[in-house]
Amino acid sequence: MSGKIVAILVGCSLLAATVQAKDHPGKEYVLKNGYQGPKTCETCHPGKAREFLGTVHWKHASKVDHVDNINPNEEHGMKDRIYTMCNGNDIVNNLKEVPPNALGKTKFTGCNTCHPGDHTSDVGSTGPQAEQAIDCLICHSSKYDFSKRKAVKDKDGKVVMTQDRSTEAAANIGRPTIKNCMICHEAAGGGAMIKRGFSMAKDAEVHVTKGIICIDCHQVKNHKFPTGRDPNNWAHDGIYMTCVGECHSAKPHSDADYNRHTATIACQTCHIPKTGGAFSKDFTKWEKQSNGFYEPSTLKREVNETAPVYAWYNLTVSNTPHFIGPKGSRTDGKSKIYPFKIFQGKAYFNKKDGQLLSMDFAPPIANGDTLAGVASAARILGIKDYEPVPGWQTIYFGSNHQVTPKNKALNCANCHALNGVLNFKELGYSSKEVERLTNPELYFEKLLKLQQENE
Amino acid sequence: MKRIVSIVMLVALMVFSTLAFVQNASAEEAKMVGTISKIEMSADKKSATAILKDTKSGEEVTIIITDEQTLDKFMDKRIVEGDEIRCKYEKVDGKNNSKIFKKTAGC
Ligand code: HEC
Ligand code: HEC
Ligand code: HEC
Ligand code: HEC
Ligand code: HEC
Ligand code: HEC
Ligand code: HEC
Repeated sequence: MSGKIVAILVGCSLLAATVQAKDHPGKEYVLKNGYQGPKTCETCHPGKAREFLGTVHWKHASKVDHVDNINPNEEHGMKDRIYTMCNGNDIVNNLKEVPPNALGKTKFTGCNTCHPGDHTSDVGSTGPQAEQAIDCLICHSSKYDFSKRKAVKDKDGKVVMTQDRSTEAAANIGRPTIKNCMICHEAAGGGAMIKRGFSMAKDAEVHVTKGIICIDCHQVKNHKFPTGRDPNNWAHDGIYMTCVGECHSAKPHSDADYNRHTATIACQTCHIPKTGGAFSKDFTKWEKQSNGFYEPSTLKREVNETAPVYAWYNLTVSNTPHFIGPKGSRTDGKSKIYPFKIFQGKAYFNKKDGQLLSMDFAPPIANGDTLAGVASAARILGIKDYEPVPGWQTIYFGSNHQVTPKNKALNCANCHALNGVLNFKELGYSSKEVERLTNPELYFEKLLKLQQENE
Repeated sequence: MKRIVSIVMLVALMVFSTLAFVQNASAEEAKMVGTISKIEMSADKKSATAILKDTKSGEEVTIIITDEQTLDKFMDKRIVEGDEIRCKYEKVDGKNNSKIFKKTAGC
């Protein structure tokens, strides 16, 4: 069995390697004719640009039907959501220049810097101009010069995102690498590894060590990206994935004792024992930096340094102003125990209706005035009747990456010993059951044998 | 004779380790936020030096970078001269070895 898995893994990575090795058939054409943006690609790949405009990566939104208290017929995502990991969205934090700080310095800021458009054609735009604004190369080129991708003011004073559209970049096309994806994914949440405390370095993740990259697991078809059910990743392209699929079955272990657990315990629970990054932020009080700009106060750890919280999850999401996280229970027949990174953020709520308010970051970045940020966001959204009061929100993030080497996966004693990682009582087990589940009888013989083998 | 050599070695080792300890203790980890004024890759592309100008004091500090991910960011210009960096480094033998080298970022 394990041999078969290894063979599949090697197969996956070989496939990746061979595909990447050969030159892109369009190279000669690009070298001869130069790169004029997506229309150059479309001479051979017709329809790709229009197809891309319909995806989450362009729209930052989709219909969402597994989350409480939202209209399932409307589209939601980074475009319009408000939570306390980043207390705004693409609308209130549309890319702009911040007012000068006390040192007279300004800079550009905006959530939609992580959008592959040029800002003139922004999140969710459509039509021929939008098609030609797509930065195909940010995902497909291995020779992208990132100093050419930045926010600047054009000659009319409008803020635009520039792109590397050089022939050099366009002549080096292939499947996106980890780096292509990490351009945006690494810095989500305000800096490297802040929101998602995982590393995809070669020595840090067992799949990456074997040459398996983002898109070997996320098998993208027609620019639709499969995703999972992280309670704070709402927008999706209509395709879901889990660890179980082409590479792994639901009973992947030669040891039946582990296989018996997979009906109630998600693979991630045992195989991703740590998480990391930011675990708390205060948006009501920003810290002054030595450069004169302010940043939200953030408590954080390095990647893979934080113990996760474990909860039953039936893949539907509780969404209230003070809590966004998993729904589920031991008894609903649909839930499994998943690992989560728990995060708590402080921000302003509207005393009038209890809702979380959002913040335009431009004012507080310049001078730390967070209420001016709330006022600006309220103006942008047309909210007139509000009274800001500080409060906390708790959010659960899925912990779905950085699979640990198998000798560090959770074993019997990690859970069934008295000081195990699971709080059986909080997970809904009766005292009597807890007694049974923490009885060494469950694992003693087995672990003794393993220990003898290893000595 | 053998015994003397080993005693001498032992003493030398002790002196050395005390020195090393003193040096480490007097120059532990430091951190700064600074603007990059110069990046230079080594010929084998396995290390680089970056000069950071401290945003507070204006002092220039030369940092040595060896981690692959940051080196890659220099090569494809995800990090360029003029960028503002949050850096944690360790002073060893008068050299500043980078532990963390990240672009500053808001949310
Ligand atoms: C002169 C024709 C031509 C042009 C121009 C062209 N391509 Fe291709 N491209 C091809 C062909 C042929 C294939 C192989 C098709 C296949 O395998 O189905 C290909 C394959 C690809 C693949 C799959 C690569 C892989 O390794 O799996 C990507 C991605 C791609 N092209 C992107 C682009 C992008 C982006 C542009 C614009 C910069 C572009 N192409 C321009 C002809 C072209
Ligand atoms: C550096 C790129 C980047 C920037 C800048 C960025 N984001 Fe995101 N954001 C992402 C990525 C990537 C995801 C999806 C993956 C994830 O959550 O890890 C995401 C997801 C989100 C989500 C969840 C969307 C959903 O579908 O549920 C929200 C809300 C969000 N971001 C808010 C913001 C806000 C507010 C800002 C600006 C203040 C911002 N982001 C700036 C990259 C970015
Ligand atoms: C957000 C990243 C991203 C952007 C932007 C992007 N692509 Fe892709 N593209 C992908 C991924 C991922 C795949 C799947 C590659 C694989 O698994 O082999 C893909 C596959 C392709 C393929 C080959 C497979 C197919 O569907 O025919 C072509 C051609 C292609 N893209 C062209 C383009 C063009 C043209 C643009 C710009 C209009 C573009 N892409 C923009 C991520 C992106
Ligand atoms: C230009 C920035 C950017 C790049 C490059 C990028 N992403 Fe994203 N990605 C985002 C943002 C922003 C979101 C969240 C949008 C939202 O939820 O509203 C996202 C969401 C996702 C999602 C969840 C939503 C969905 O469509 O299923 C997955 C999975 C994903 N990205 C994978 C990838 C992979 C794999 C790559 C590399 C091929 C990649 N991304 C490249 C910015 C980017
Ligand atoms: C070993 C396979 C694997 C690799 C490699 C991988 N992912 Fe994932 N990813 C998954 C699975 C499985 C899920 C969904 C898990 C679930 O919800 O059950 C997921 C979920 C996600 C999500 C949704 C939010 C979250 O964190 O749950 C995003 C965004 C994402 N992946 C982006 C990426 C990017 C970007 C890369 C490369 C840097 C990457 N993934 C590499 C397997 C992988
Ligand atoms: C209760 C904890 C637990 C759960 C749940 C679990 N695993 Fe494991 N898994 C382990 C441990 C411990 C090992 C290493 C010891 C062994 O192989 O017996 C392991 C080993 C593996 C291996 C390596 C097998 C080999 O022979 O090299 C793979 C692949 C794997 N698991 C995949 C999965 C997948 C996929 C799931 C979800 C369907 C899953 N695991 C669920 C604990 C778990
Ligand atoms: C991730 C934590 C975790 C790990 C690792 C784990 N278990 Fe469990 N185990 C549980 C949970 C939770 C249950 C209760 C499942 C349920 O409610 O169906 C359980 C149930 C059991 C039961 C059934 C007990 C009963 O009386 O109902 C046995 C036997 C058992 N585990 C043995 C083992 C052995 C042997 C190992 C190591 C090979 C192991 N477990 C590893 C969490 C774990």
